[in-house]
Amino acid sequence: MRPSPKLRPTAWDGLVVLCVAALAVGLAVFQWRGGTSRGLTAVVSVDGEEIDRVFLEDAAGEKIYRAGAYTLTVEYAAGSARVCSSDCPTQDCVHTGAVSRGGQSVVCLPGRFILRLEGGEPDPEGVDAVLG
Amino acid sequence: MKRLAAYVLLTVLVLTGCGGPVDPDTAQESIQVIAMDTAMLITTYGERSPAAAYACEDAIRDLEAKLSRTDPDSEVSRLNAAGGEAVEVGEDLGVLLDAAGYYHATTDGAFNIAIAPLASAWGFAEDRFRVPSQEEISDLLKLVNGFALQETPEGVALGPGQAIDLGAIAKGYAADKIVEIFQEYEVPRGLAQLGGNVLAYGDRPDGTPWRVGVQDPARVEEQNAFAGVLELTDSFAVTSGGYQRYFEQDGKTYHHILDPATGYPADSGLSSVTVVADCGEDAGLSGMMCDALSTALFVMGEERALDFRRNWRGLPFQLVLITEDGRVVVTQGLADRFTLEEASGYQYETVS
Repeated sequence: MRPSPKLRPTAWDGLVVLCVAALAVGLAVFQWRGGTSRGLTAVVSVDGEEIDRVFLEDAAGEKIYRAGAYTLTVEYAAGSARVCSSDCPTQDCVHTGAVSRGGQSVVCLPGRFILRLEGGEPDPEGVDAVLG
Repeated sequence: MKRLAAYVLLTVLVLTGCGGPVDPDTAQESIQVIAMDTAMLITTYGERSPAAAYACEDAIRDLEAKLSRTDPDSEVSRLNAAGGEAVEVGEDLGVLLDAAGYYHATTDGAFNIAIAPLASAWGFAEDRFRVPSQEEISDLLKLVNGFALQETPEGVALGPGQAIDLGAIAKGYAADKIVEIFQEYEVPRGLAQLGGNVLAYGDRPDGTPWRVGVQDPARVEEQNAFAGVLELTDSFAVTSGGYQRYFEQDGKTYHHILDPATGYPADSGLSSVTVVADCGEDAGLSGMMCDALSTALFVMGEERALDFRRNWRGLPFQLVLITEDGRVVVTQGLADRFTLEEASGYQYETVS
């Protein structure tokens, strides 16, 4: 039986180790600084399933979403979003108007559609929940 | 070189964290659920927050499957369709029926789950709104006010033609279930919004009370248009208001809170009623109480509602009443936790 050759680390091994270490440091710094961007983002879901995510910092224009039997048009602008038209029977989503702060949402119950804002700057004078 | 590699790998392990305890002051899980004819948002904190949040969703879906009036397979639908025959009911529906009977009796009929046929006649159950004729309303009122649940060894039975709708109490019961789940999963703090029901559990991550806005009924189409803000810790709060669901016909507005005495939308001089009570181990089913009483006290109107509270011998609760003549009336126990929104223009009053 032939003996195994003696394995000695080479300069290439050292380079790989340094690359892994650099990546780990980068990831750690990224995580400590908040992990992901806290920019205001509209998260759109239909029937519990996320179907779109729009970063609002420089958003502009309209998007059309199919929600059950209904069609909703959402207008995105820098820092805000609103359902500008819907063929649902209640029109509550349209009447909600524009949302512009993290935690706010627009809901279309007949279409089981939710547009919810996440992230953005916290507002110490804002509210955590709304009764009504 | 081997020693260097070992140091580097150790650094990698430390920097990447390998897990470690979760900070309970950091939001961990937030889920949104459409159920019970409303949008719900549940936010849980702490180490077991994801499991707790999804357990809450499961509990809500389970209750909806049992209590829905539109799902033909639910226990409530089977009871409504039984034509007077007895139907076996599970524990949750049994608890709700007992509670509904209790609140019906204690509010002198202002709370009535048998309002269902009347709500359907107005189209509120199916979003097909119409104004029924006086004759139709009079006929349906006989069913509504002749309601008496029959309990037999085989189960419970309604009278022929009668039907129940638990929409004015079921979300409060769901909130009570959520408290149980938060306790089971050792959630240190959380917030649940179930339509007009809010559960403010524990305090905010910064140690201050949760800030809960009370919608200004006169400005429902504006985001963040509040009559005032409540600061709540370990509390349930439920609001009922005519502005929440309504339709207009021939220039007149008809809202969804029907007065079982007249069959028409309650015309009590109130725009909204908010009921606040403690939650926690000694609070019993106070979420359900807040839900039922917010509807009943809206029907009663200001004077009767305040008298009712003064004479109430059940779990303690506080009130915020917003009147159609521009006042916000807050009971004394909430005075230091309620801040009027000056821009709303309401006149502020506290009462005992």
